[in-house]
Amino acid sequence: MAVELGRAPFTSTHRRLSLRSRLYGLGTVYAKTMRDSRRSVLIAAALMGGLMLVVGAAIPTVYPTQAARDEMAKLATDLGAVAQGIAGKPVNVATMGGYVQWKYGPVFLFVAGLWSILALSSTLAGEARNGSLEFVVTSPMRRRRIALEKVAAHLSVMTIALAIMAFAAWLAGAAFGTLPGDAVPVQAALGYALWVGLLALAFGGLAFTLAPFLGRSAAAGIAGFILFAGWILNGYAALVPAFAVPADLTPWAWTANHLPLAGQYDWVSLVPVAILAVVLLVAGIEGFARRDLGAASSIRTPGLPAATHGLSGPVARAFGERLPTALAWGLGIGVFGLVMAAASRSLADEFAKSPDLQTTFRSVFPGFDISTAGGFLQLLVQLEFIVAGFAAATLVAGWASDETSGRLEMLLATPLARRSWAVSGGIGADLAVAAMTVVLAVAVGIGALMAGSDAVTPMAGSITLGLYAAALVGVGVAVGGFFRTSIAAEVVTLVVTATYLIDLMAPALRLPDWVHQLALTAHFGQPMVGQWDVGGIVACLVLAAGGLAVGGWGMRRRDVAR
Amino acid sequence: MVAIIKTEKLTKSYGSHRGIVDVDLAVEQGEVFGFLGPNGAGKTTTIRVLLDLIRPTNGKAYVFGIDTTVDPVAIHRRVGYLPGEFTLYDRLTGGETLEYFANLRGGVDPAYQASLVERFDLDPSRKFKEYSKGNKQKVGLVAALQHKPELLVLDEPTAGLDPLVQETFFAVVREAVGEGRTVFLSSHVLSEAEKACDRVGIIRDGRLVMVDRVDALRDLAAHQVELRFTGLVPADEFGALPGVSDVVAEDHVLRMHVAGSIDPVIKAAARFELADFVSREPSLEETFLAQYGRESGEVADHGR
Repeated sequence: MAVELGRAPFTSTHRRLSLRSRLYGLGTVYAKTMRDSRRSVLIAAALMGGLMLVVGAAIPTVYPTQAARDEMAKLATDLGAVAQGIAGKPVNVATMGGYVQWKYGPVFLFVAGLWSILALSSTLAGEARNGSLEFVVTSPMRRRRIALEKVAAHLSVMTIALAIMAFAAWLAGAAFGTLPGDAVPVQAALGYALWVGLLALAFGGLAFTLAPFLGRSAAAGIAGFILFAGWILNGYAALVPAFAVPADLTPWAWTANHLPLAGQYDWVSLVPVAILAVVLLVAGIEGFARRDLGAASSIRTPGLPAATHGLSGPVARAFGERLPTALAWGLGIGVFGLVMAAASRSLADEFAKSPDLQTTFRSVFPGFDISTAGGFLQLLVQLEFIVAGFAAATLVAGWASDETSGRLEMLLATPLARRSWAVSGGIGADLAVAAMTVVLAVAVGIGALMAGSDAVTPMAGSITLGLYAAALVGVGVAVGGFFRTSIAAEVVTLVVTATYLIDLMAPALRLPDWVHQLALTAHFGQPMVGQWDVGGIVACLVLAAGGLAVGGWGMRRRDVAR
Repeated sequence: MVAIIKTEKLTKSYGSHRGIVDVDLAVEQGEVFGFLGPNGAGKTTTIRVLLDLIRPTNGKAYVFGIDTTVDPVAIHRRVGYLPGEFTLYDRLTGGETLEYFANLRGGVDPAYQASLVERFDLDPSRKFKEYSKGNKQKVGLVAALQHKPELLVLDEPTAGLDPLVQETFFAVVREAVGEGRTVFLSSHVLSEAEKACDRVGIIRDGRLVMVDRVDALRDLAAHQVELRFTGLVPADEFGALPGVSDVVAEDHVLRMHVAGSIDPVIKAAARFELADFVSREPSLEETFLAQYGRESGEVADHGR
């Protein structure tokens, strides 16, 4: 057969999609990406919408009268710059919208930002790495078109989730508002959603741009670090002058006066954020179009020495495999802890000037004395439990990857019993938790020394983060061994989130004490000031060891997944 | 002979999905047994049950006479396994991966390990994630072979290997068998099984439909026979002969399929003036396809 070069023998001017393809999201890259995102959009929308409603419902319960609101607003204002590291600018705090903006404003951005970072860093780089993208790229579509459709799909699902969050903000004001000013106007709800969405896309866009060059993990790590570092720098720029210059480089500082839920708008400040997001996303699309497919990393990232790879046996191997992740978490939490510990004395002194504020904090954290450096650090530890919990979830996911990646078949074809694999992997993850804890404890100790405080007590107190993480590893191994490893990390994440919300919200909502006691983190005492609760420690050790035992037993009785 | 692998009515179901059904199998010491079947027939399911990676729904499986569900570790000590699909540690080099598996097993001769690495032309200094598909397969093969196991269980072992490395692989298999070791080799590449195996089993829709020696199995398929005469001959006479089918006459040429003995055809042809005679032996592939064309799922086992 003669083939005419340079011309397609058959041309199709119109591609007709079946109804089934349209309904199932199999017609276009855009629709398929939307289909792949359906679970994450549900989780993000439920998390942000649900949190908005829960917070909205809680405010009138905790502060039922105008007098209580005014007192709380006065405290927020008196706290001034000190509190900006934890909360935001106090504007109209006596209203429901102002209170949410002040206390929880950044939280919604963390959720949306992390989602955007993870989704955009993996949408192309992750697929390129596992090979699925090669099938798409070899279809008759330009790479720019593919990347554009993937970005458009992410924008669509982000818009859906943020619209639900905005609706929840409006609904919270309408349904739970009891005092004048509690209603959240549609403009305010949309303005807040726009702020969250644009900043999330800017950080996600950074991950998207870096991913083709550095790989998915490094890109997500850098973007996530800048997201959180920007928040800290901006929050403490007033107290630490050295923070001011780098803080001004972040969208946090550019949009510092845009507080829509509090009724304060700065629409113009959103323009440079939007431009940044667009530039980064376009750069990411161009990077994908121009570079070799799947050539993720041309920049060599430093690795750990070969001696740490752990080849002597299953425990050493599991520890070696988890160690880089654990050290990254330890450094991340440790740097934050170092900064907080270094500033703890001066921050505590500021808190000491406001007895009323101390009273307010005690309503959320009963028995905490934030007028002391140790008490302030204890508050910090309570907030870091969720981070340590997520660290544990990633270590559990690493343990589970032996089975989810198909590696376990080869391991179990050696004289390694199923129970030994589960327990050894769990012990390896626990050792990684120990390494993480040592790093963060040393960092907190250095910070305390910089503040001229006792270093030993807060270092020892930091161990509670490790104990909590070890308990969660036990939970993950138990779930993975007994049921299946593919859900272990998700279950741990669920436990971490539920524990955090119970510990934080139960006292504030004046729920029965037994509800608060359900949170494992409510049972550690105040180790940062030297007050230990043996019950919590024992519970952690039992969960850590018992979880491994249950996981090992469970592995013996079920099929190995492929 | 000693049965290294033995299954009795081995059945595995995945809920309502069929895995394998009533598989009765015996693999003897020192043989290369080919386990043939198309994708989804149940080859990998059978292997995973043999290694206790999954548990049977019904029936029993024994390896080295040990019930696979009772003491799998005792079995694993004596087995080398290459899965059909696998991944290993991305951050480790090929050499570190082999070292780790050697440590897990113990008793690996470093010199033999090094000789395998050299024969398979594997660069052990590169990280696993940087290897091509074929090189990853080489790492898996060396990991399965390096401890000189009594039983090699290999699921699609030549996938991704270039022809030269395939030759090396078959040579290593022959050496293993020469030392009295046993090889259980799953494949859907029939030429590979034909080349390496002493006996083959054919699995179809989860059921073992045939077990026989490779040469005997080949005999089961019809020979393609072509007879060229100097003049016209009555085709009907040949069509009525036992084992003859599909007779086609074209001028002075008769073409037919002959199953079983060819003697009646030769005797009938001798009554005419024969110009040429061609008989082509069926390939295992034709046998395999012939088996798949059958409706019956009855096991025919002739080869032990």
